[in-house]
Amino acid sequence: MSYMMSVLLVGLVLGFIAVASNPSPYFAALGLVFVAGVGCGVVACWGGSFLSLVLFLIYLGGMLVVFAYSAALAAEQYPESWFSWPVLVQAVFYSVVVLVALVYLEGGWFFFSVMPAEDADKFFLFRADISGVALMYSSGCWMLLLSAWALLLSLFVVLELTRGLERGTLRAV
Amino acid sequence: MTPTLFTLSLCFTLALTGLSFHRTHLLSALLCLEGMMLSLYLALSLWTLQLDSPAFSLSPMLLLAFSACEAGIGLALLVATSRTHGTDRLQAMNILQC
Repeated sequence: MSYMMSVLLVGLVLGFIAVASNPSPYFAALGLVFVAGVGCGVVACWGGSFLSLVLFLIYLGGMLVVFAYSAALAAEQYPESWFSWPVLVQAVFYSVVVLVALVYLEGGWFFFSVMPAEDADKFFLFRADISGVALMYSSGCWMLLLSAWALLLSLFVVLELTRGLERGTLRAV
Repeated sequence: MTPTLFTLSLCFTLALTGLSFHRTHLLSALLCLEGMMLSLYLALSLWTLQLDSPAFSLSPMLLLAFSACEAGIGLALLVATSRTHGTDRLQAMNILQC
């Protein structure tokens, strides 16, 4: 089980190296999808099944789908994947930075504190993350209203930004 | 340093350097920004679960809501750039160049 957690954490770092080395946006969006999936696994291993589901539904299924559509705006004839020279140089540089940080910061409890220590012989219905998110509707109602208001305002900002001088908002690019 | 804290700090820093050293496309910079938001969401979720504070699990949800606002506005800027300049390559945005 701790091997799975270690593999997920290594996959997280590799996925972020793949995104940060700036390939063509098709491949960067693919790397971000991979990172979101692996991150869901990490959060779920620590017991946050609801937060992992929220990440999958809202982040992967909502926001990254829109990014995948917008990647059509960055279409080019020869997209640079991770096997082209500038991207590979940046990826190798980030890998070296990761290894240097690993060598510098390990020690102490590094190899022993990977897994959560909780009693796993019972099944609880009220997990910590579900009970906490339910507070958003009772004690945190003002933050819920504020975030809904911010989302509504950002809708109007988006409509105003894409309006341009003429020809309206909803048109082909 | 524990592995999860090390990994999440490293992921945030990697995405930040990817945003700083962006190369050709505006969309790849926006994707690195989304990666930073993702690493912050994972960090807040894991701190909720590791430190046994259930009420703190509000903050990843609110972070996700505001990150959705920011992603939408970033993509609207990308579409506006693509409509005026014809492309989203950063070499085309040189009207302030002397």
